Amino acid sequence: MSISKNDIIHIAKLAKLKLDDEEATIFAREFENILKQFKTLDKLDLDDVTMEKPNVSVLRKDVQKKYEIEDLYINTKVMRETSIEVPKIIE
Amino acid sequence: MKDCSIKYLSEKIRNREITSEEVVRYYLNKIEEKEKNIDAFLLVQKDEALKKSKEIDDKIKRGEKVGKLAGIPIAIKDNICTKGVKTTCASKMLEDFIPPYDATVIKKLQDEDAILIGKTNLDEFAMGSSTENSAFKVTKNPIDITRVAGGSSGGSAAAVSADMVPLALGSDTGGSIRQPAAFCGIVGMKPTYGLVSRFGLISFASSLEQIGLFSNKVEDNAYLLNILAGEDDFDGTTVKELEKKDYTKDIDAGIKGMKIGIPVEFIEEIIDPEIKEVIFKDIEILKELGAEVEEFSLPLLKEGLAPYYIISSVEASSNLARFDSIRYGYRTKYYENINELVEKSRSEGFGKEVKRRIMLGTYVLSSRHCDEYYNKAQKFRSKLKKDFKEVFKKYDIIIGPVSPVLPFKIGEKCKDSTMHLSDIYTININLATVPALSMPGGKSKKGLPIGIQLIGDQFNEDKIYKVAYALERKLALNF
Repeated sequence: MSISKNDIIHIAKLAKLKLDDEEATIFAREFENILKQFKTLDKLDLDDVTMEKPNVSVLRKDVQKKYEIEDLYINTKVMRETSIEVPKIIE
Repeated sequence: MKDCSIKYLSEKIRNREITSEEVVRYYLNKIEEKEKNIDAFLLVQKDEALKKSKEIDDKIKRGEKVGKLAGIPIAIKDNICTKGVKTTCASKMLEDFIPPYDATVIKKLQDEDAILIGKTNLDEFAMGSSTENSAFKVTKNPIDITRVAGGSSGGSAAAVSADMVPLALGSDTGGSIRQPAAFCGIVGMKPTYGLVSRFGLISFASSLEQIGLFSNKVEDNAYLLNILAGEDDFDGTTVKELEKKDYTKDIDAGIKGMKIGIPVEFIEEIIDPEIKEVIFKDIEILKELGAEVEEFSLPLLKEGLAPYYIISSVEASSNLARFDSIRYGYRTKYYENINELVEKSRSEGFGKEVKRRIMLGTYVLSSRHCDEYYNKAQKFRSKLKKDFKEVFKKYDIIIGPVSPVLPFKIGEKCKDSTMHLSDIYTININLATVPALSMPGGKSKKGLPIGIQLIGDQFNEDKIYKVAYALERKLALNF
């Protein structure tokens, strides 16, 4: 399977990553090798196997927990009162 | 101190034969002496540990009840959240991240009066097998510092092996506890998926990873699992209403009559003659101890690499999408708009291996390829689980190697490869969600440790510990 540099740039955009030309070229080469190995799955007969689905809910109970506001925003770069400052989204 | 069991040491602390402060100072001195050569820790909580040890000693003096780990130091892999203490995942992305809450396992340790002594190094976001992929430092193997400690929990394994701490926590997504334990000559357990809460473990591949434990001795490992195991409301995947086991009970009952299987697929794959020799020698010892050991075939074991990397990369790309650098995490200096902020921050904040896996997962999940790769990998996983269930109808445990190679030299292995053949013996265990323990099985001619892996059916950690305990006593290895 051939993976082009443009394919890689497209995937990077989906993954919210920025790659330079050199990185994209390296990734394209590596991906070809990895995907070749992924193809080993094709030789297995898995057509009759049903995919396992969780038989229980894995969601935890929706319980309210109180935090100090200072604790919750301890890692935030810039705050204005109780809001996080981010760059303009709509020009 | 290294020869004392944790149970014995904590009893001595409780009986005031030794103080917790003395124990903590012993280990802090070891850290002071050895850490500069090993680089196991990202953070040592010296002052906090000493303060806590004095509090424990005071509690004991006042005759108050203390926990099962009273005064015992423990190190924590730096992808497990500790309230108010930096938790970085060894990534520039989380270099300054301070969790506002504790992981459930941390709470359990604190409830038993354990002393958190520091946070340990890892491959960035637990992606790697050598701890060379940390954004901050490379951990060295205490047995030969020119070699890697293994990974991704290399810091925790090296800290225990170098006697800088008696116990440590790690996480295992595809072998990240068992392989470093094997490389550093100690005991490492990956419990059954769902036995120990993952709440507060910073996610990499949620359906595969499990918090687990490192110790020097098998009995200490079982003692610690007694404390960590159990249902947690904060982790919906922990198993409900499971019968509580005491893993130390009857650990010394012997293994007479136990049925042990060894997959021919494991034996065929062993290329290193020294590893092969150790595995066969250990098989003979298990037979001498009264177990029945026989070969069997489980052909799917040869094929796990592709499905493992498909599922783990897909889950990584999804889990790591949360790091947008808006609410927390590394943020780039110069940006024009919000898109540029997110893209540049993620590209600068994540290391190469992390980016590679995010990219791979995103590719596999994209609509054109989902059926081709991801659905097939999930089908493989279902089949593997069923095959394991069948095997455990016949055998109490399965044994095999941990790694096909001995601890390698730092920088020796190509870092530019995501799919590591060195994971071949460990990844299937995570896909099947069963428990497995790695312990020293012998030594190479150069004195390097060679690990042996004991694999059990779901929630059969007690059987694994029994076999491991018997083998450990008979081998009486020292590193």
